[in-house]
Amino acid sequence: MSKEPGKTLLKMKVNGKAVEVMVNPTWTLLRVLREELRLTGTKKGCEQGDCGVCTVIMDGRTVNACLVLALQTESKEIETIEGLGTADQLHPLQKSFIKHGAVQCGFCTPGMLLSAKALLEKNADPTLEEIKRGISGNLCRCTGFVKIIKAIQNVHR
Amino acid sequence: MRERDQTRKKPFSCVGYSVPRIDALDKVLGRAVYSEDLSFPDMLYGRVLRAGIPHALIEEIDAREAKAMDGVVCVLTAKDVPGINRYGVAFQDQYALAEGKVRYIGDPVALVAAETEEIAKDAIKTIRVRYGKLPVITNPHEALAEGAPRIHDKGNLLLHTKIRKGDVEKGFGEADVVVEDTYKTHVVDHAYLETESGIGMMDKQGNLVIWSANQCPFRDRRQVAVVLGMRENKVRVIRATTGGAFGGKDDVTVEIHIGLLAWATGRPVRLVLDREESFLSQTKRHAIEIWTRWGARRDGKLCAMEGRVLGDTGAYAGLGAFVVKKCGIHLSGPYFIPNIKVDSYSLYTNNIIASAMRGFGVAQAAIAHESQMDELAKRLGINPLNFRLINALDVGLSTATGQVLYEGVGIKATLEKIKEVVLNHPSLQSYWKDLT
Repeated sequence: MSKEPGKTLLKMKVNGKAVEVMVNPTWTLLRVLREELRLTGTKKGCEQGDCGVCTVIMDGRTVNACLVLALQTESKEIETIEGLGTADQLHPLQKSFIKHGAVQCGFCTPGMLLSAKALLEKNADPTLEEIKRGISGNLCRCTGFVKIIKAIQNVHR
Repeated sequence: MRERDQTRKKPFSCVGYSVPRIDALDKVLGRAVYSEDLSFPDMLYGRVLRAGIPHALIEEIDAREAKAMDGVVCVLTAKDVPGINRYGVAFQDQYALAEGKVRYIGDPVALVAAETEEIAKDAIKTIRVRYGKLPVITNPHEALAEGAPRIHDKGNLLLHTKIRKGDVEKGFGEADVVVEDTYKTHVVDHAYLETESGIGMMDKQGNLVIWSANQCPFRDRRQVAVVLGMRENKVRVIRATTGGAFGGKDDVTVEIHIGLLAWATGRPVRLVLDREESFLSQTKRHAIEIWTRWGARRDGKLCAMEGRVLGDTGAYAGLGAFVVKKCGIHLSGPYFIPNIKVDSYSLYTNNIIASAMRGFGVAQAAIAHESQMDELAKRLGINPLNFRLINALDVGLSTATGQVLYEGVGIKATLEKIKEVVLNHPSLQSYWKDLT
């Protein structure tokens, strides 16, 4: 028999909107975003905080959604890729990623964009080393990182 | 975007232009649909019980406890397979569910479909399998040894390929310098960020429809149909946006298991491997042991080469026969050698299956041939870049298999370009001081 403990009401803000959802205390933020809220732009890669494809921004800081328990996000503000831009109004980073060929399979892209956004919000003109550090929690297996770094460096050019 | 390359004057709309990827917009918005992003009402979660033991006879499988669990909808083993329990892209030596024997730790033994992922995981743990352990073969030498335990009925040799060109004995007779060495490469996982994943169901017309992370939907469909005992045109395999593959999703991964569970339950089934399961059960780059001997004359010309390639293809063929064969074919590198003798052996072991990965055996060959070239250049006292230029393939010369090249041979131009860069780069000049 599998245990099915009682669910708890979780209130948080996701991409600027107030959200209320019943969650199991064992669920991660990743599980709630993907399966309960159907925000599938946040990816699942390793579920142990290594790959960074589930990176989201929580109260201004990047976190691995697979390592945050859903209930830890009570009253917090979460930003996911779905809140970054729209097809009509892309975020400058999204434009730059397309322009510089920084997108291949696309699986690291949402997390990579959010790490870049968090970095640029703290530091508008980062050095190469600072960019590398800023995306050090996000693995990419296609591009070799060079084009991603170029996209971040040239975001306003 | 679409900045015209001014050096070209061709009236194309894409060729000659830098164009954005067609799917880049969906990907930066997070709306590209990978298979695990799909979800259907009434969906079940699949899970695979893996052997966890490298070589053993299956004496008994007891799944009574799993079957009795609340939330478990079905448990399948080999005896439940409706069609032919065999698959494989080139050689049908793999079992959808292990039959009588397991050959590596990742061999699938049973499948579970349950109402939640947690229940599926718990149910798998309750299945008891009694194994009779068999001796384990961990490397190609053991596989080739006389009296070695047979992993498959036909033995442990999957494919032996001979490359013969010219007369190596005569060739080595002309050599002033001979370099001989053994090179060993190790297993590599593709580590695509999206693990093997998919979802499938029987539609109302009785078609089996599967969305998965794959490289070859039509090849997958052919293999799914045989195991399910269905006509091929009743099976649809759809390639969802795939989060990296690099050869690792060339073989069937989750498709057959999804098909079996969807067929058995009549409900949509999602099956996603977790990272650890992906590492332990799915295909890898081959570990290859290469012994090779090269001869060159004092004037810098290569005159003979021989080699023996032992490729560890693991428990099942996958595309392993061709990967190891290709390693042998390319062992002479992009160089003209008049006399060549190479034997490559693709061998079954009880290791994890090795199959396609970027380079397809040639990466392993390159480690050997480039090391040989450096060592020969050193012994001959010739600059290593010049030594490569002397021996590079060109139009009119033949490869190891005797194919005479008529066009499109870029290795000399590439090497000349490198030379130009090196000669104009102050920090490189000292290292390459004998390069002129």
